[in-house]
Amino acid sequence: MESQIELIMEDIRGKHNARLIRFIGDLDATNIDLVLEKIFNLLNDGIVNIVADFKQLRYVNSTGLGILLHFSKTAKEKGGCFNIVNINENVYEIIEIIGAATLLQIFDDLDEAIASIK
Amino acid sequence: MKAKQLKIEIREVPGTDMIKVMHFSGELVSECVMQINQVFSDLTDQKQLFVIAEMSAVTLISSAALGEFMGCRKRLLEQGGDLVFSGIKIDIRTKLNLMGATKIFRIYTDVRSAIAAYNWEIGHKPEKINLKFPPFLKIVPPIRQLVSRIAKQKGYGNRDSFRIETIVDEICNNAIEHGRNQVGELIDLSITIDPDKIEIDVTNISDPVKLETLTTLLVPDNGSDKKNKADLKRGRGLTLIKMLSDELSVDSTEQGTSVHVKKVREE
Repeated sequence: MESQIELIMEDIRGKHNARLIRFIGDLDATNIDLVLEKIFNLLNDGIVNIVADFKQLRYVNSTGLGILLHFSKTAKEKGGCFNIVNINENVYEIIEIIGAATLLQIFDDLDEAIASIK
Repeated sequence: MKAKQLKIEIREVPGTDMIKVMHFSGELVSECVMQINQVFSDLTDQKQLFVIAEMSAVTLISSAALGEFMGCRKRLLEQGGDLVFSGIKIDIRTKLNLMGATKIFRIYTDVRSAIAAYNWEIGHKPEKINLKFPPFLKIVPPIRQLVSRIAKQKGYGNRDSFRIETIVDEICNNAIEHGRNQVGELIDLSITIDPDKIEIDVTNISDPVKLETLTTLLVPDNGSDKKNKADLKRGRGLTLIKMLSDELSVDSTEQGTSVHVKKVREE
């Protein structure tokens, strides 16, 4: 009965240490371990620039938001970034309420999110 | 072949004088239009504006009769009332569907459901749902989605339903995280919903070891800096609940913890 979350990973042309990750489903306490493992594997393998496409991410709770902040912090510490794009209004509201909108790098446009990778 | 004669009987609804049930029987052929019109006129003259047309004994509804029902409903709506159907046989319902009438009329399976719907709308009578579930995280997603769907079904908008889903999720997760998680112990969730608000109550058995952490979280936020917020592993759930709801109270003792949330409908 865990929430379903699927992460689809794609290379980003011209950025060898970057990945586009499409989040599909709900991110909550029942599946954060799976997401943590997949993303930390990337970060530990030197893929320190991550663009997270939230177009199909329906739901995030406070636990899910906690790991997003953790990814952002860790990517920055490793000299990279965790850029979020295509976030839906409901999920954005949750991020805003927690006061995390200024802590996370949120973009309206995928090209813009990719272009910001140094 | 002669049509089965139409009979119409008006019945009271116990506990309310605002709703009337019209029991139809026989065939509603075109010749019945005047008879239908007269019964509705009598009711509207008496300011009886919320009508249930009970059709379980009806074997045919002609397009002329359906047109008359549309006209009657329009007159009721103009005066702040409504007309709904109950008990329509499947074959008739299929025809009504093909004629597009099911988009105009609300059709309930039985009179009881129709009365409950009217009571909800005009009487603002809340509906209550009680659930008990074991303290496992994986049970929370279907529960939060169920409550969100109930809110949507009751006419709450997408944003309100999403906020309700978040509140239920966070309260239940907190109850599991801060409560006692022994086999056989259950968490109580109670939802009371009416057209204006939803009230959510969650009660669990306290775990004395975790009680101190919970008490710390209940202390008002004194404005931590950005770094602290990024590092903060706990307490975001309660912040979310506070921000998304209109009332939040937590009563925590060594025996049990009860959380009460009221969320007013915004959309």
